[in-house]
Amino acid sequence: MAGIAIIGDAVSVAGFRPLGVAAYAVDRPEDARALWPTVLDAAPAVVFVTEPVYAAIPDLIAATADSPVPAVTVIPGAGSTGGVGSEKLERAIERALGTKMPVREEDV
Amino acid sequence: MATIRVNPNRMELLKLRRRLEVAKRGHKLLKDKLDELLKEFMARIAENRRLRDEVEEALFGAYGQLAIARAEAGSPVIASALLAGQPADLVEAGEKNVMSVRVPLLDLGEIPPPEGYSLATTPALLDGALENLSEVLPRMVELAEREKAIELLAAEIETTRRRVNALEYVLMPQLADAVRSIRMKLDESERSERTRLMKVKEMIEGQQQ
Repeated sequence: MAGIAIIGDAVSVAGFRPLGVAAYAVDRPEDARALWPTVLDAAPAVVFVTEPVYAAIPDLIAATADSPVPAVTVIPGAGSTGGVGSEKLERAIERALGTKMPVREEDV
Repeated sequence: MATIRVNPNRMELLKLRRRLEVAKRGHKLLKDKLDELLKEFMARIAENRRLRDEVEEALFGAYGQLAIARAEAGSPVIASALLAGQPADLVEAGEKNVMSVRVPLLDLGEIPPPEGYSLATTPALLDGALENLSEVLPRMVELAEREKAIELLAAEIETTRRRVNALEYVLMPQLADAVRSIRMKLDESERSERTRLMKVKEMIEGQQQ
């Protein structure tokens, strides 16, 4: 069995702590860089990062891209607008197909 | 395109033909693998988009409830209430092989019920928000599993496409060119050998007469 971790601002991550998720609150998104090794030391299966944190440490997240776990996933934070996760998916599609794929109404 | 420099002899010809055959077989196998990977990839995308929209909407709803709870009871009360709970091992993590790509299999166990804070001093909205978060958590884990699989498949598709293209547009034409050029040179030397023999034969016949 493995754990779930979440990194983000205190407001976004606090609600997950009572559910058994390892919540790592950072004051500034850049602080996640120093925290990242500690998070990975706990060998979580899933790491959720808020959008500002994802924007601050893309290189560290990319380093985990080749292995099945941890699955690092972007979620919107309490103050963010969302859409970064979808952009990440679009980039994966572009990488695979060599082109963007329009979203059809029936797909959503 | 750079050509392969080889000695034009029969041994090289056989060797190159064998290499070309292997390259053709490999190309066919890789092309089949690429098709299958693309099929698998496309099947996952639509479902993933729907799931992400659902998760983002549910998260915004829960954040909104938490914000109202904070406004009602005050940030320190909510912050101390949310300190309850310890990190637990919630996920059974495995791997699945999809066309030689190892994708994660995440199985979420039972989520502990949120407790450890005073129901008297915290607003009911906090309970609602935590309940909503515990409902969205399984979908978040599913989303993580799907997105990771999509990213791993995308990387494998890119690599496989490069290999297919390298075989199709570089190696196979180079080998075919090399085989053709050796063939031409061998034919040429065979013709010149035959002409020489005919000439010699003519000369010998002329001398005998």
